[in-house]
Amino acid sequence: MGIHGPGIAPDPEWYKRAVFYEVLVPGFADSNADGTGDIRGMIGKLDYLHWLGVDCLWLPPFFVSPLRDGGYDVADYCAVLPAYGSIEDFREFLAASHERGMRVIIDFVMNHTSDQHAWFQASRSDPDGPYGDFYVWSDTDTGYSDARIIFVDTEVSNWTFDPIRRQYFWHRFFSHQPDLNFENPKVQKAIFDALRFWLDIGIDGFRLDAVPYLFEEEGTNCENLPKTHDFLRRLRLMVDAEYPDRLLLCEANQWPADVVQYFGDPDKGDECQMAFHFPVMPRLFMGVRRESRFPISEILAQTPPIPSNCQWGIFLRNHDELTLEMVTDDERDYMWTEYAKDPRMKANIGIRRRLAPLLDNDRNQLELFTALLLSLPGSPVLYYGDEIGMGDNIWLGDRDGVRTPMQWTPDRNGGFSTADPQRLHLPPISDAVYGYQAINVEAQMRNTTSLLYWTRRMIEVRKQHPTLARGTLSEVGSRNPTVLSYIREYGEDLVLCVNNLSRFPQPVELDLRRFEGFTPTELTGRVVFPVIGVLPYMLTLAGHGFYWFQLTRTEAA
Amino acid sequence: MAAGDPAADGLAGLLQQWLPEQRWFGGKGRQLSTVEVETFPLSDQPLVQLHRVTVGYADGLEETYLVPLSRREEAAEPLTAALVGELPDRPCFVYDAMRDRQTTPVWLDLFAAGHDQGGLRFHPEPGATLPERGPGDIISTEQSNSSLIFGEDAILKLFRRQEPGLNPDVEIHDALRERDNPHVAALLGYASLHGRPGEEESTVAMLQTFLSSASDGWSLAIASVRDLYAEGDLHPDEVGGDFAGESYRLGEATASVHQDLAAVLPTGSLTADRLEQAVAGMDERLAAAVEVVPELAPYADGLRARFARLTTLTDPVAVQRVHGDYHLGQVLRTYHGWTILDFEGEPARPLASRRGLDSPLRDVAGMLRSFDYAAKRLLVDAPPDPQLEYRSNEWADRNRAAFCEGYAAAAGWDPTGQPELLGAFEADKAVYEAVYEARNRPHWLAIPLWTLAKLAKEAS
Repeated sequence: MGIHGPGIAPDPEWYKRAVFYEVLVPGFADSNADGTGDIRGMIGKLDYLHWLGVDCLWLPPFFVSPLRDGGYDVADYCAVLPAYGSIEDFREFLAASHERGMRVIIDFVMNHTSDQHAWFQASRSDPDGPYGDFYVWSDTDTGYSDARIIFVDTEVSNWTFDPIRRQYFWHRFFSHQPDLNFENPKVQKAIFDALRFWLDIGIDGFRLDAVPYLFEEEGTNCENLPKTHDFLRRLRLMVDAEYPDRLLLCEANQWPADVVQYFGDPDKGDECQMAFHFPVMPRLFMGVRRESRFPISEILAQTPPIPSNCQWGIFLRNHDELTLEMVTDDERDYMWTEYAKDPRMKANIGIRRRLAPLLDNDRNQLELFTALLLSLPGSPVLYYGDEIGMGDNIWLGDRDGVRTPMQWTPDRNGGFSTADPQRLHLPPISDAVYGYQAINVEAQMRNTTSLLYWTRRMIEVRKQHPTLARGTLSEVGSRNPTVLSYIREYGEDLVLCVNNLSRFPQPVELDLRRFEGFTPTELTGRVVFPVIGVLPYMLTLAGHGFYWFQLTRTEAA
Repeated sequence: MAAGDPAADGLAGLLQQWLPEQRWFGGKGRQLSTVEVETFPLSDQPLVQLHRVTVGYADGLEETYLVPLSRREEAAEPLTAALVGELPDRPCFVYDAMRDRQTTPVWLDLFAAGHDQGGLRFHPEPGATLPERGPGDIISTEQSNSSLIFGEDAILKLFRRQEPGLNPDVEIHDALRERDNPHVAALLGYASLHGRPGEEESTVAMLQTFLSSASDGWSLAIASVRDLYAEGDLHPDEVGGDFAGESYRLGEATASVHQDLAAVLPTGSLTADRLEQAVAGMDERLAAAVEVVPELAPYADGLRARFARLTTLTDPVAVQRVHGDYHLGQVLRTYHGWTILDFEGEPARPLASRRGLDSPLRDVAGMLRSFDYAAKRLLVDAPPDPQLEYRSNEWADRNRAAFCEGYAAAAGWDPTGQPELLGAFEADKAVYEAVYEARNRPHWLAIPLWTLAKLAKEAS
């Protein structure tokens, strides 16, 4: 039985077929009417997530924190922020998730801590004490001058002077987030201990935040250094040896060709099992806006192969903005030139929006994007609320606009909390189009044609076809530039996906000669289509329409 | 076997009936008086032969075509559409071998073997990887040639119409091989056939890398224009389907290929008297066109003034090998970028002139004309709408400018910096289009007329 308790069967590659769901603790459900979502509140919503078809929850940081960076500024790796609950609550939540067959991964920020962390307080006040070398201290602010400043809007240097220790400390992100000194073996041990703390409780893995920056070295840009990979390999060895079936998901917002090094050895895959594929998402938006498959085809073609035990994570939206960070290095890059030319796309950079408002609340486009998310290579990561088409509130500022409370019912506070509405940590969306009176889980569960039901159905179909999770992808040729078609292939499991990126109806003639004699069966309704011959296979699609077909060898009559 | 073979006589009779029904046959509607057949074996089992067919017309002119045929002992039902006819000798059922799928792998065998017999020679390119043996599938949309696609890797183009000399498509792709230009598809090999006494070899076919999953530039441009017209009152730079980025990259690709052509094939510059000849040619074509299309008359003076300006150019006009028939239908977008196809030149012109030197601005002008066509294509069948016309001009202007910017960025010189040449080439091309449209698609005549009106006005 092991540590998981009932409901979770051993499976070393569970993450390759899982549907992930990112849920923010403070925004999901409030169990104690204090206006902030909490862990006990989430326990009450697990049946809903199980019904939807979620396999794994991803929780961004819920640790003790001054909350100056959305909880990514951790002040204690081994304690839950009291407003969210306790370790006991978390144990109960984890057991309840596992009972329902759902795994849980949590964010872990290794690179830096909050300046409120006890380690930093000890380090600054007692340079010769046990924590004196836990951070990167220097008498000058001139070292590692080739490292770029990531948050150029708020930071002027990667060094900040500490008036107490009277030295400069190194930070790749905010100046209230000092970088840990990974050269110090005690730091490495302390981090391993913190990771073990959560693994012992029984979590199923970590999303490792900001991994490219763990080590520094003079004369380099201090990113992706060999020492960082050595450390990740040792971390993976420890996890595999002591905690089988646990996932390491790497967040490295870089070009796919550079991200693959975080999978480790190409044959063994001995670092992280998963990494986010960042450039797919902006290209889906650009492809549909341009009504052209080439922005998407290009990035699929540029995505290198990954070790067989590894998997990409793909998403449409998450708590971060539509970002071009990883493409601005190369001015000749497709996206750079296209975004630079397009005022509307440019305006979306740096603004956090939810999926529905980004797509003008167009149901056809919401379905097309979700179908792409569920059929492109990689494990899909849904963002809470997008399954019902929730809106955002851009007046709350970029950080909070997409973190408003989940909308459960048309009742007070959208069913999120029974607190006095004035007490909510963020106001629920209440406009006429996206407000909780119109958009909520209860209403959509009563209506089987709702976006929620549709999303659930598509997740179900995806799970019936392992090729959508594990298959290879090859694009299918056609002359029509607005229709993106590809075959996912995994043994005998063949699925053909045809996506009309245009708002107008389109014909397409697919070159399916390789599958001569196969019969396509449409996957949502099991309607059998004509047998594939040598001639181009003709289909017509509605505007923003798509098909998923299973291809099977035609039985002799 | 050679001409006059008794077995070929029956075949000549069949072909006399069959040829005029073929799309690639140029002599439709003309009186066929003689059909002569020469035969070159391609394979014994299955039996496939290449026939060089010389047809004589009642007016005394001759044309030569290539016709590969397969023979079968029994009628094959799935091939009914490919049946050429039945002969008294065995095997008696004669099929169009380009559509007889089972016999198509023969072409790959001949390339792989470097077949060289009876004047028919196959030249695989050194180091090229030939596709795996398998059937080839005919492309149904072609006009003057016939092509087979092998798997997802290679395309074989059969040059139906035969003329002595190396086909420029093969010549150019072969020459560009050493440049490794990313904007052309790799040549895998070609086949040639000995000429009649005193004549050069002719080019039978070329085998080239096939770009699966590519779309032609025309389809992409039309998708962009369609998107623009569906928006009430947005400008081309505001709509989602903006094409300027693609046009810019197409300009870059064009300049890159022009540079490589100049590096590996002859170049020169036009002397003053050659320039005068060129102007005379443009004037002549204009005069002839006005006879056919009286709507051109009001613009004739302005256009002649524009042509005449060429003689005042003081800088020498650089010439080189060019594409020669350049438009959006000749470029393919793949997920690596733009690829330029079909360096055959204008198919109606004789082969020798297609292999001559010309200004690269000739190609630039061709593509600019194509942008105008794309902008106006959706308007010709619709009731007049001044607002849409205005916006179509905006689309054309934006994409023409982006193409030239991309060209300038890659070439180091700006095509719009030579307005005399560029305008004259555009006008010359539009005059040709006007005649073509008046004869074939009168309701499209407005497209070249719109450009000619503008060019004539600017000149006067």
